[in-house]
Amino acid sequence: MRLILSVPPCRISPMTNLSLEQRLALLADSAKYDVSCSSSGSSRRGAPGMVGSTGRGGICHSWTADGRCISLLKILLSNVCIYDCAYCVNRSSNPVPRTVLTPGEIVTITMEFYRRNYIEGLFLSTGVVVSPDHTMEQLLRVARRLRREERFNGYIHLKVVPGADAVLVEEAGRLADRVSINIELPSRRSLLLLAPDKPRESIIEPMRRLSGLIETSRLERRRSRNAPRFAPAGQSTQLIVGATSENDRQIMTLSEGLYQRLGLKRVYYSAYVPVSSDRRLPALAVPPLLREHRLYQADWLLRFYGFASHELLDDAHPHLDMRLDPKTGWALRHLEQFPVEVNRADYHLLLRVPGIGVRSAQRIVKARRTCRLGEEELKRLGVVLKRARYFVTAGGRYLGGISMEGPELLERLTAPGGRRASLEQLELFPARDLSVVTGEL
Amino acid sequence: MGRYRYDGSFEGYLSTLCLALAERDEAVEFVRDAPETEPGLFDGPAIAVVTGKGEAAAFRERFAAEVSPEAFSMLCYAFHSEREGIENLLWQYVRLGLQAGPRLCSMIADKRVNRVDRLARAVSREAHRYKGFVRFRELEEGFLYARIEPEAYIIRFLAPHFARRVGDRPWVIHDLRRSVAAVYDLAGWRLVHDITLTGSPRFTGAEEGWAGLWRSYFRRLAVEERRNPKLQQKLVPLRSRKYLVEFE
Repeated sequence: MRLILSVPPCRISPMTNLSLEQRLALLADSAKYDVSCSSSGSSRRGAPGMVGSTGRGGICHSWTADGRCISLLKILLSNVCIYDCAYCVNRSSNPVPRTVLTPGEIVTITMEFYRRNYIEGLFLSTGVVVSPDHTMEQLLRVARRLRREERFNGYIHLKVVPGADAVLVEEAGRLADRVSINIELPSRRSLLLLAPDKPRESIIEPMRRLSGLIETSRLERRRSRNAPRFAPAGQSTQLIVGATSENDRQIMTLSEGLYQRLGLKRVYYSAYVPVSSDRRLPALAVPPLLREHRLYQADWLLRFYGFASHELLDDAHPHLDMRLDPKTGWALRHLEQFPVEVNRADYHLLLRVPGIGVRSAQRIVKARRTCRLGEEELKRLGVVLKRARYFVTAGGRYLGGISMEGPELLERLTAPGGRRASLEQLELFPARDLSVVTGEL
Repeated sequence: MGRYRYDGSFEGYLSTLCLALAERDEAVEFVRDAPETEPGLFDGPAIAVVTGKGEAAAFRERFAAEVSPEAFSMLCYAFHSEREGIENLLWQYVRLGLQAGPRLCSMIADKRVNRVDRLARAVSREAHRYKGFVRFRELEEGFLYARIEPEAYIIRFLAPHFARRVGDRPWVIHDLRRSVAAVYDLAGWRLVHDITLTGSPRFTGAEEGWAGLWRSYFRRLAVEERRNPKLQQKLVPLRSRKYLVEFE
């Protein structure tokens, strides 16, 4: 059933008499809820006569007051939108000022910012105007000019408009390093409720098509280095957490499917920031940042630690534990596998030890080739033992100092050194540049 | 014991290593060419090392072959930390490496290797960070100019990156702490030493406009509900903000 909106959608016309600075600010406002800003996954050296290069790990250029990295110029071409998605700041019924930038203006700003090294490239999105095809064409116009006229060789991330023609979607992939379509909400039902203009098929279908094209191009480039690139940094997507009732298990199962079946590079989770008082949406005092953080941790476990989503979440545990990171939660349910001996355990098992990350596991495996590792050596390697000590032995000695079976273990892990309160903060957010470890931001 | 005086450069240091290895020295003292390192009363005479590109390259070849290219790159990064006593630390590292061979890089739990490894990673991290933190400003003189004051001597790691990236304009990256600049003239880049500013740089008329546009964009991009200045400060420490346009 479609609900009737409290505010009737009004025809909105963009304000064009504003200065460039005012318009840029308004469109930044409209773009900032898109989480993705990564410039990774694509490696292209500069070439004579061209401006720009891309590096596999991506580069962060600054961090805003909310602690998020700025890598790309994240901007909307226009925040005018014919759709009325309840969770979106740019929904047609929202009385915010509307404006546009011309393709020429975006091209100039991108080049000027890039030369000054403010940014790694452009992340261009837009509200939907007239029709999906018309909108997609506007985005392509910018990308074409950057690549062909400006000979811009830096990073471009293009949003693909759901419902746009296949020919246009293909061109987007040829021009951009990364393409993305936001899945927006974790289930068909929620999408129908909050974004009635965007049927699930119009999102999944182009994602599937992109995935096929990316895979084909990857295989062709393996055969011939001159084969054309198609979105070499792959595709990503974003979904909003906390605006609808799905549990963490549904979300992680969805992500796992996107990674495995569609080969996505990243799924971004965006804690719902109340941008609307629509009564279909929950009235949240603050965005569920800790939940978002736990989802990212679980996502990392899927991508880099060899975990499957059913290991982290099941019928008995449909939600991630807010007190513990998901790996520690898993370990506490599987104490029979611990402690592991750091001098012998294989790499994949080391990765499962709470507190041991990809970097630490690699360093342990490297170091033990030439030396027997005790507590001292682990510390020297930079392995943080705060959590890990309860789950490992080093040279046969258990480092935890307490009984693994007792209730004390949970207590120690949930209240490490009185830092409990800061858990609500985003300090633990994996926004650090992990590129060196993972090749991916 | 050998006492060597060299010019303080990486090439100079490698030339010195060549010499010291040929002399089969064990304990070695390194002295940099600088007024404040005049010999003390009881110091013996120092052997003046002539920096030679050939010797430096020969050492590099040898070390990469007998130990590993990765080990050489650790040596290079660590040297540029400019830490007090780095020459001696690396001398131990090199001698250990020539004994241990390719195993050296996995000996990161060994105290001697570990110290080098930590320094090298810190320098490499800072160099990567500065690929994002360099801010070019357009000068009346017709080139792009960036000021930096990094902890380590990272300018030679930055210059190739920007030469590949901003290849259509001449630019200068100036390390004010060390009075050294990387100068790019469209054909290639080189290091120029003992550079000092004679006046404040004159920006073009358009420059302030773009900087202002960037500043206002930067401020608007933060989501108010997620405000977290502590996290921001961890990621952009105050000391790196001095030349970041958006924090001015």
